[in-house]
Amino acid sequence: MSESTAPTTNGSVKWGVAVDLKRCTGCQGCTIACKLENGTPPGVFWTRVIEKEEGTFPLAYKVFMPIRCNHCGDAPCIPVCPSGASYRRDKDNLVLIDQDKCIGCGTCVVACPYDVRFMPESARGYYGETRIPFEEVSYQKWQKGTVQKCTLCVHRIDRGLEPACVETCPTKALVFGDLNDSGSEIVKLIRERPHFQPSVELGTDPCVYYLT
Amino acid sequence: MIEKFTTGQNSQGEWAWLLALYLYLGSLGGCLFLLFRIFRLPLWFAVVSIGLVLLGAVTLLLKLGSPQRAWRAMSRPTTSWISRGVLFVAGFIIFGCLSIAPSIAALSWLPWNDGTALGNVLGWVAGFFALLTTLYPGFVVSNSRAIPFWNSPLLPLLFFTYAALAAAGAVLLGAPTAPSSLAQVAPLAEGLIVVNAALSAVYLLAMSRAGGSASESVHRLNRAPLGAAYWIGVILVGLIVPLAMLAWLKSAAALAGACIQIGALLFRYCVLKAGVYYVPAALTPAKVDFSTLTRTSADFAREYAGMTANRATGRR
Repeated sequence: MSESTAPTTNGSVKWGVAVDLKRCTGCQGCTIACKLENGTPPGVFWTRVIEKEEGTFPLAYKVFMPIRCNHCGDAPCIPVCPSGASYRRDKDNLVLIDQDKCIGCGTCVVACPYDVRFMPESARGYYGETRIPFEEVSYQKWQKGTVQKCTLCVHRIDRGLEPACVETCPTKALVFGDLNDSGSEIVKLIRERPHFQPSVELGTDPCVYYLT
Repeated sequence: MIEKFTTGQNSQGEWAWLLALYLYLGSLGGCLFLLFRIFRLPLWFAVVSIGLVLLGAVTLLLKLGSPQRAWRAMSRPTTSWISRGVLFVAGFIIFGCLSIAPSIAALSWLPWNDGTALGNVLGWVAGFFALLTTLYPGFVVSNSRAIPFWNSPLLPLLFFTYAALAAAGAVLLGAPTAPSSLAQVAPLAEGLIVVNAALSAVYLLAMSRAGGSASESVHRLNRAPLGAAYWIGVILVGLIVPLAMLAWLKSAAALAGACIQIGALLFRYCVLKAGVYYVPAALTPAKVDFSTLTRTSADFAREYAGMTANRATGRR
């Protein structure tokens, strides 16, 4: 597997997600789909929908914003990793963590401006020390004492499927696609709709776009 | 957990006591060795300095989630300050031990000492690695773009001056057994206390004026529960009390040294705990007009009609 610490290069697939904030209802369907697909431990949510109250009574409303790892083009978590566990997969620019290399120093956790990296301290399940059969199987995907985060369901992408959160979104607020393919739906949406990238001013070149 | 689901200024929770202890011990040990070289202090100061750095390394091992893979920490010295630090610490321990080895009776047969060229070279190389060991912890912390309170060029300087103060304090702590060192180091400690107080004030002022998460960090340093540790532990016990002791009560120099250690450790802890993640501008109402997300009934009717038409034609 080819991997690098260099910023994104053109010419390859660059997976990204467009989030239509007008469609998101804050149902947390993506949060639960991610939990089921990746078997994350209690308190860890690789993707989640954060909410913010806007306006004042009686014209008050909530804004929902699904967040996940942005698989940044210039990810700040990669160069700070002392063990080389955080890396970019060259063939599609996904930012991944090699669980066998991670030493659990937490440097990448404090380097990520999006607060989407997690280091579970125990391998306890939702029902205490005794894990249910689902947890027995799903907890084999990660290791205790190492950092974990959204992989954009790399195992599904490699089988030609969309990430679980995208597939499950009932309002189709999440659009997954290749940002380097000018004909893809995600690129068309980004071209046509007003949008922003989260904390792009930090120079991270996030691959998640929010359509407003 | 609820803060993970609401927008706001969230504290980092990854680095706390153990990392603060590691940063404190590593930089204290490195700087103590520098003082040993500069002021020609008794040999046991060098032994203690190497021991402190080793203890710091053990503390880091305890902090790691997977300490069995700690050797991998030196894999990326080109980009990672932790990797560089591991190499600096290894260099310091190796050359530090080699430089002082002939001074130990059982190893006096070694063919170098302070009087030989090789002994001098080993001493200066050890001193160089000690300097790097003292300097790098500040860069480990300030390298994080995600936490504006840390991401300042002033922080490595402040960490260095605090390391120097802690090392001077350690010499004061050992002064009863080495009285000659007290006269050399006490003025230095007094000067460093003043320098640290001034630099801390400049740093906090700069951060509070930076706005956003940086000023929120300063705000958290000034209120409970962190405020007590900072104002009582770092400022009162760590700076004011030892300065007063050194100025008016020279006989309490050792106690002043102990106070300095408390302040130096708490300083690292407070800086780490006050770290607040950068808040995306998109979540600041002043930056993005979320009112575009509010829709009138006519908008809803038009969108619903569009969705129905799209469903009929098989489009999204």
